[in-house]
Amino acid sequence: MSALLDVRTISYAYPGHPVLDSVDFSAESGEFVVLMGVNGAGKSTLLDILAGLRTQGSGEVLFQGRSLHSWPAKDRARRISHLPQGTRHELPFTVEQVVLMGRYAYADRWFESDEDHAYARDAMLRMDCLQFRHRLYSTLSGGEQQRVLLAACIAQCPALMLFDEPSTYLDVHQQLHCFSTLAELAREGALCIAVTHDLNLALAHCSRVLILDGGTLAADFDTQQAAASTEWLTRLSPHLRMTHTPEGKPWVLYR
Amino acid sequence: MNSSRPTGWIWGSAIVFLFAALVLPWIGSGSISMDRVLAKAAPDYPIFVELRVSRTLLGLLAGGALSLTGCLFQSMLRESLADPYTLGVSAGAALGAVSTIAFGLDRLWGFPAAWVGAMAGAAMVLVIVAGASWKQGKPSGVRLLLSGIALNGICFAFILLINSVVHDRRSFSITQWLLGSVDAVSYRALFAFAVVVLATSTIVITQARGWNLLAVGEMWAQSRGADLRRLTITGFCCGSVLTAGAIALTGPIGFVGLIVPHLVRSRISPDNRILMPCSLLLGGVLLASCDTIGRIVLAPADLPAGAVMALIGGPYLVWLVRRRF
Repeated sequence: MSALLDVRTISYAYPGHPVLDSVDFSAESGEFVVLMGVNGAGKSTLLDILAGLRTQGSGEVLFQGRSLHSWPAKDRARRISHLPQGTRHELPFTVEQVVLMGRYAYADRWFESDEDHAYARDAMLRMDCLQFRHRLYSTLSGGEQQRVLLAACIAQCPALMLFDEPSTYLDVHQQLHCFSTLAELAREGALCIAVTHDLNLALAHCSRVLILDGGTLAADFDTQQAAASTEWLTRLSPHLRMTHTPEGKPWVLYR
Repeated sequence: MNSSRPTGWIWGSAIVFLFAALVLPWIGSGSISMDRVLAKAAPDYPIFVELRVSRTLLGLLAGGALSLTGCLFQSMLRESLADPYTLGVSAGAALGAVSTIAFGLDRLWGFPAAWVGAMAGAAMVLVIVAGASWKQGKPSGVRLLLSGIALNGICFAFILLINSVVHDRRSFSITQWLLGSVDAVSYRALFAFAVVVLATSTIVITQARGWNLLAVGEMWAQSRGADLRRLTITGFCCGSVLTAGAIALTGPIGFVGLIVPHLVRSRISPDNRILMPCSLLLGGVLLASCDTIGRIVLAPADLPAGAVMALIGGPYLVWLVRRRF
């Protein structure tokens, strides 16, 4: 039985600039994987490849045992959602219209069905943005906009969710809410992969940590192993130190 | 913003469109008797059928085509100031059509030469502007508009050059055509144009959900399941065909692709499923109304519809820019 996502020695290079070199891992439903690395490590590029938005130079990505690029676009969108980095702030649509875009691959009619609206409503409720569903997206704050985009990804009801820095612009309360929602989605059976720079948020919620360094996968731990080891922290910064809270949970300090 | 009965706006726009089609032909510098028209008596009947009705229908079709193209380009390029005029596509179509007039060409490959020339000019400018504005895998709004302005200038320089070297009679035809007016055309040409507008609009509007996704971003559209390549090719081809068809018959008319989509987007809905059909219908009403205003405001002189549209659209653009920047 093949894994839900199987990444086999993929490499990718921008013109004259290699980014990923033989990245190899697999992941199953129910995992909440956090992808970390310094700026320019190739995290977003890897996420784009996993979403089928870029084609790797070499290697292969299998989703449900089948090459990612062999999936028709709509079939893939029913199974994989992707939150890109830096979406436009000046969208002319309402919040509800943006979230309903997550149902594009499902709706076979001119307007979305009641079922599509129900999924969108549930996603907005989860991301705490139902209360401003009739407001124009462009009138929201950066954090509110990010929650709307996350809700659109959730409304897509995929088996694999890819988030590029999902907690960007969010206040502390919403960052916690966002990561606990992603962990909840993973417990419900989805595979969530998120790029983040917030180590403590990641260690508190995820089940697995991947570190990209120099284009390769430098570390691949479950959360317990990550909490016990400190070597991987040096790949992110020499100023980090692992400690534990009085409850025994891992906590990263800046020296 | 009406989200509960969104199609009501489309039906409402269709009623306004029908009302304009029925009423505007009766308005003009001289009054026309309905009895004489029904009795097919001259001069009322030929004036009504051959001038007023054909002008109104051309205004409705061309205005709709330009307005829909404005919506399309604004969504595809994620730039609210993009329209066939600001992107230089109208000027490209004008240069193509003027070239055919200058060479005295009547038909090319069985099609009216002005249509073929306009089509080639529109497509050429669109490719150049899109290429020049591309930066880091996406179009830059400012580069898009500046490239459009540059191409506008270049195309009109060539038009002036052509106009200055051609025979006097052709020069007069070119000048008349460049005024941008909704003049009477043959019903055969109108029918052909109506078929083009209907077919192309259907292709564009049926993909409205895809344009919505593209208005957010290319990555966003792709990861929601849109076929980006097909959408982009369809959009550029349909936009060129609609612009070229309208410009070939009316001459370069600006602003309709800017005013109507902007008003519909802000007053009715930004959703292209509503925005596009409403803009198609109301854009036609606006241009046909401008033509009617031009017929009566300085009667018996005829003010070209392009001039009336510019007098309305120019201040509107200034207001839009002031609000935005």
